[in-house]
Amino acid sequence: MSMQLLLFQVLNGLGIGMIYFLLSVGLTLIFGLMRFVNFAHGAFYLVAAYIAFALTRWTGSIWLSLVIAPLAVAALAMVVERVLLRHTYRMPHEAQILITFAIALLMQEIVILIFGPLGQNVPVPSALSGIVFLGPYVYPAYRLFVVGVAVLVAIALWLVVEKTKLGSVLRAGSESAEMVGLLGINVDRVFMATFALGGALAGLAGVLFAPIRGVEPFMSVEALGIAFVVIVVGGLGTLSGALVGGLLIGLVQSIMSTLWPEGAQLMIYAAMALVILARPAGLLGRF
Amino acid sequence: MASSTPQAWRFPDLTTAIVVVILAVMPFLVPTTLASQVAIFATATLSVTLLLGSVGLLSFGQGLYLGFGAYLTGLLLRDAGLGLLPTLVLATTAGTVLAGLLGILMVRRQGVYFVMLTLAFAQMGYFAMLSLKDITGGENGLTDLPRTMSLAGLPIGSPLSFYLLTAGAFLLAFLAVQRLNASPFGSVLTAIRENEGRSEAMGYDVKRYKIAAVAIAGGIAGLAGGLHAAFLGFVPPNDIELEISQRILVMAIIGGVGSPAGALVGSVFYTLVSEALSELWARWMALIALLLIAIVLYLPGGLWSIGRRLAERFGGRSADA
Repeated sequence: MSMQLLLFQVLNGLGIGMIYFLLSVGLTLIFGLMRFVNFAHGAFYLVAAYIAFALTRWTGSIWLSLVIAPLAVAALAMVVERVLLRHTYRMPHEAQILITFAIALLMQEIVILIFGPLGQNVPVPSALSGIVFLGPYVYPAYRLFVVGVAVLVAIALWLVVEKTKLGSVLRAGSESAEMVGLLGINVDRVFMATFALGGALAGLAGVLFAPIRGVEPFMSVEALGIAFVVIVVGGLGTLSGALVGGLLIGLVQSIMSTLWPEGAQLMIYAAMALVILARPAGLLGRF
Repeated sequence: MASSTPQAWRFPDLTTAIVVVILAVMPFLVPTTLASQVAIFATATLSVTLLLGSVGLLSFGQGLYLGFGAYLTGLLLRDAGLGLLPTLVLATTAGTVLAGLLGILMVRRQGVYFVMLTLAFAQMGYFAMLSLKDITGGENGLTDLPRTMSLAGLPIGSPLSFYLLTAGAFLLAFLAVQRLNASPFGSVLTAIRENEGRSEAMGYDVKRYKIAAVAIAGGIAGLAGGLHAAFLGFVPPNDIELEISQRILVMAIIGGVGSPAGALVGSVFYTLVSEALSELWARWMALIALLLIAIVLYLPGGLWSIGRRLAERFGGRSADA
């Protein structure tokens, strides 16, 4: 592999990595605060992607869904949290995993019911359909836009978590949600807000991804797998973990895809297993 | 989910009789090939039921051992010309060994991390299968398995002979799990499920017990995979995909993990419902998903526990799991 190509793969990998960050960060926020493993995260992403598909066909471009889909999915996540998940907080982890898995299955079936089982394309908005020259490299403009949004989201989330009242509650809650509750903060509302935020982030990822990979009803399974790998490798429950995990997995996938395509997926799951066994708090985590 | 009330396992009991009766009447009530399918998936589900019900370990990856057993069976039957019985024994052994080895690693982590490890290893198995397409046939699966086989001199080819084989295999695995649960070993597993820390403090080598349980469950899944390959006459790549791990997990939860009989109930229910509804409404999985949600929230013992509750109410004394 020439140096030129390697550099391009690195650049490409960082781009994919930022998208993976966006896909995973909601999952890790929810786990960090509530120790809740949300197997329905991929389904939130799926629903948003299909909302984007439907709105794009209706309005002709993706811009409207960029706002509407994350909000709609945030509302969906809140309803799901309030109606179903709330009852499982006192149950063992297994019950939470199973119920969110069932919810994901249900959403997938509903999507197929409405839109059919076949994959569909979502057009790239015309303003971003070109290519951009980054030095000697050519990069699709839309992808650059997505990476830019992901960077903005990362910065915004960092500001929220580190600088705001909500952020301090989130950080304190991840240490001990019970103690936060005893200090007079309405933990129920914080949980619901966290689910809404997690859903909105998954939704944003779904919309932004739709023009890149199209939509199909089983995209949620693949996305959930990658999101798990990313947050485990970086460290469950931390913002920086999702960022580093996302970039690392993006890089590995991009570079491996030219060397040994079938092995790329094998490698990332091997990395996931290795990190859990050797450094369960993730590469960045405290343990 | 671990039930909160510890129960005394007994062997053999009323449950054993019920399972034998279900297996005996099934070929008269449903088409024989469907009955075989029920028995195969009941065996696969039993591996989930054993782990979750007896030890409290949730596995999202039992399909790995099922797939491993299926591919091994396919290769042994087709390329090594081995008989069905030694092949199934080898598939069971292979599942046990693979699960035992991975178990040594997996039991180092608990809770969510254990679940994630089962998921990671299952995905590795699937992508390893895709990478080794010269051996496994990749996305096409492993085809051209021999259609006529014999087991200890008896020809296995007709639907009925296949049912007798698969139902016999399930019964064997079921009795083994029941016997295991009733043994001192099973009592330790129950103790680990109820309170891992206390079991450790009492001096039990918790990890070793868990590894043994994971290995046994892997063997049962391997056996189910072997039966599935022989039954279908080929090995679909789906046998090692995450989807099959999820499917048998769903069967286990619906049937209930409080008793090994739940595996049979779950498989009967899921297989028959899918058979009956798939013609009428292609999206029947939505109903399964709703049922799953309801069971997690309101009926943690699954469908099997309904029977037990009724028995307790009307029978006056408890019918043991």
